[in-house]
Amino acid sequence: MVSSTVDHMIAVTVFLAATLLFIGLFNQTIQTAVIYQRHRATATKASDLLDNMLLSPGLPVNWGQTDANITGFGLQDPEFTQYKLSPYSLMRLRSSVGEPVYYNATEQWYSNVTIGDRNFMLVPYNLALEYSAVTRLLGINNSYGFQLTLTPIVTVSIQETSASPLTLKVTASGVGFPLSGATISYCFLKVGTHGNDPYYDISFDTVTADDTGSKSITISNVAADDSYAFIAYVREGGLVGVGYRERTKDQNKYVIPFIDSFDEGLVLLAHSYDVHFFGAPVPAVFYNATFVLLTEDFTLREMPIDTTSDHIVYGHGSDKTYENVTIPTHNPGILVVTYKAQGANQDGVVLMPWGLSSLAFPVTFGGDPSQQEWVATDMRHVTVGGIAYQAQIALWSLEGYQVVG
Amino acid sequence: MMRTIEVLIVIIIITGAFIAASFFAVLPWPRQVSPLNLRRLAFTTLQMLDSNYDLSRAAFETENYTIWGGLQIALSASLPPNIIYNLTVYEVTGETTQLYTFIDSMSNAESLGITSDASSYIVASSNVTFNVVPEKIGEHGGGGGTLYILNCSDANSWWITGYTAHSLAQDLYNLLSPYFHETVMVQSTNQLAQILDGTALQGETLQSAVVINTCGEAVPIPSGYYSSSGVGYDPARNSYARYSYVLGQRVLEYNWTWVSIVGYPLYYVSNTGLFPTYQNDWGIYGMRAVEAAGLNAFLRGLDNLTYSYDSSWLTGSPSGVVYLSNEAVDSSNYYGVYPSPYQTSTRALPTSIISAYNLNVTTYVFNTVGNLIPAAVYRHTVTTGGTTHYQGAFYAIGLTRTPDIRLTALGLLADYRPRLYRSEYTANGTSRLVVLQLGLVGGV
Repeated sequence: MVSSTVDHMIAVTVFLAATLLFIGLFNQTIQTAVIYQRHRATATKASDLLDNMLLSPGLPVNWGQTDANITGFGLQDPEFTQYKLSPYSLMRLRSSVGEPVYYNATEQWYSNVTIGDRNFMLVPYNLALEYSAVTRLLGINNSYGFQLTLTPIVTVSIQETSASPLTLKVTASGVGFPLSGATISYCFLKVGTHGNDPYYDISFDTVTADDTGSKSITISNVAADDSYAFIAYVREGGLVGVGYRERTKDQNKYVIPFIDSFDEGLVLLAHSYDVHFFGAPVPAVFYNATFVLLTEDFTLREMPIDTTSDHIVYGHGSDKTYENVTIPTHNPGILVVTYKAQGANQDGVVLMPWGLSSLAFPVTFGGDPSQQEWVATDMRHVTVGGIAYQAQIALWSLEGYQVVG
Repeated sequence: MMRTIEVLIVIIIITGAFIAASFFAVLPWPRQVSPLNLRRLAFTTLQMLDSNYDLSRAAFETENYTIWGGLQIALSASLPPNIIYNLTVYEVTGETTQLYTFIDSMSNAESLGITSDASSYIVASSNVTFNVVPEKIGEHGGGGGTLYILNCSDANSWWITGYTAHSLAQDLYNLLSPYFHETVMVQSTNQLAQILDGTALQGETLQSAVVINTCGEAVPIPSGYYSSSGVGYDPARNSYARYSYVLGQRVLEYNWTWVSIVGYPLYYVSNTGLFPTYQNDWGIYGMRAVEAAGLNAFLRGLDNLTYSYDSSWLTGSPSGVVYLSNEAVDSSNYYGVYPSPYQTSTRALPTSIISAYNLNVTTYVFNTVGNLIPAAVYRHTVTTGGTTHYQGAFYAIGLTRTPDIRLTALGLLADYRPRLYRSEYTANGTSRLVVLQLGLVGGV
């Protein structure tokens, strides 16, 4: 009788222990499968969300060209179909990587995309769409986070191989593959001065790259200390890319363009000391602005704009803290501002894209995926103002942390 | 002891079940859990390469090594290094049981890795022409069929900034002449006087014609009778508003459709011979301001009311931009005329003119904003013997300069709705199918 009871006790104990163990084992397998399913759903959502953003122009359809608030989010160019994005809608995305800039004169923060020393795209926060607002418009707030990255496919690098005579080596490549035999259309803008007033000489030409995707271009009548800007558009078999280079003589005194209104094409030109607070007051900066368009045959053309030259001072005195320039078109192009510091032999040039693609600026918009447990990615090839870009999305779930293994 | 053995047997059975379940429950690879959508990537790559028709050109010139090689370079340069491709071009034949015939292909690998997917894209040869025969306006009743384009060399223009009346007239001719029996360029104000007198210039049908004024806010005025006192000139007010009244009368009499392409209609009168020393306050000579009285007088003439001088301002500025109506968007797609769907309007006519002058809007080109109509075709209603019909019409585009002449064409086409007879597209050798297959290499 006793042995039977002991037998039962041992059997029940062993059975319960084994049951608990197997429940744990099966549960782990099931849990792993559920997590895989959730990840699969996130990956599908990433693909769908990317298409949603790229294949809809948003509401109102021309929101990128206006200062209007939006009621629907989308990046498609309203004048086209399929994967052609609006270069202006992309400008209105608040950059998540650039350090924002505060400008005292307007008392506003600006979303900052700055490439190199003198190429700016500064959009006021009240016009730049915020990430959280976009997640609400997309209907994914509190359920998913995302980061959208648009990077140009073609990289055009420009090196100065000789200062006098000025020789520039233009090299174009895709993702690790040179664009051999590519057509290069370029615009060369040399800065000159009459007293304090800067002016520019502009020239255009088209050349062909060699088998390595490179071409050395010699520009005559440019001294070793002349300031200049060089902008090159490269195309090959349907791929189009942009590159640029400037040489400037000054260190800190220059012009910074701030976009003020997309509706009116209004750009504020500010003194760099007013923005970066370099120190004690410095001379005024005189400027001369022009606008360069990319035509449909991929050549560059200068477009005159009104009230293009004046001067700006540092500080908030009675003189001009900033000046306005109005860009009279919603065709993508480049605002080129040549400048000279008053009384000093310091001049240079700054560039601002009007339409993100004009200078092939990249955009990173959204949250930070680096701290997320699991991120799904997907990509598409798109064109923005005729320039080839790769659009990539990173998407993660905000509904708890789940880890496999 | 027996119970313990039984439990052990149960444990062995469950262990076997777990091992069997684990064996069959194979979890997918990471790339299957979160796959790169190769199908969409392939499709967008093909679209991107064809955005300037480079892909179409290459697909039809596979023997041209420069173009074909350029496509291969672009393809290699645009895809990430871990993605391999195979691009194949097929001829679309349709004559035999084999619909697609292989033409050529290019690839950067022997196989397409562990995972692959493909997209296809149809390209058309640049030699393809589509034949479209438009119906002529008035062909199936309704009269008309004549288009008058005012291209008066002795009149100046206003608010057509960046264009000349001549260039706009030429563009209108190209856009609209296929839809009319006769298109007549009115080359001078003398010729304008002739048609106002009811005399055809080239034997065309004058009745129910469409008259487009390409001078913007100015309207050409003939010297002589139509600018004389009491006919075109109001001596009491020192104004040529009376000429606009006569125009309104003629539009009613001949059942014309008068088209104002931009801005405030009939705001100035222009004749460089008649007003050589007058200018419009902006330095354009040969022009005199009539201001708002011109449009008021025109509408009174159109409604067969007695002339009276009325300088009250009619138009307004809708806030923000204005958008094409659904009807206009449909017509855009049907006729292949694509102006920008949103515009700025600062000279929109009020809805009150509809009841005041017995008008009926037959086509809204832009959506109404409040009580303002940015652009619409107004037809004047006349009741004779208990029957109501249209007689005389006015198409006013109250947008801000610079004018988009395509809107003029679009509004007229949307209102008259001439049909398009498209020829069938059966030509062989004009389409090719491009298939891009992408594969992933490396990773798990």
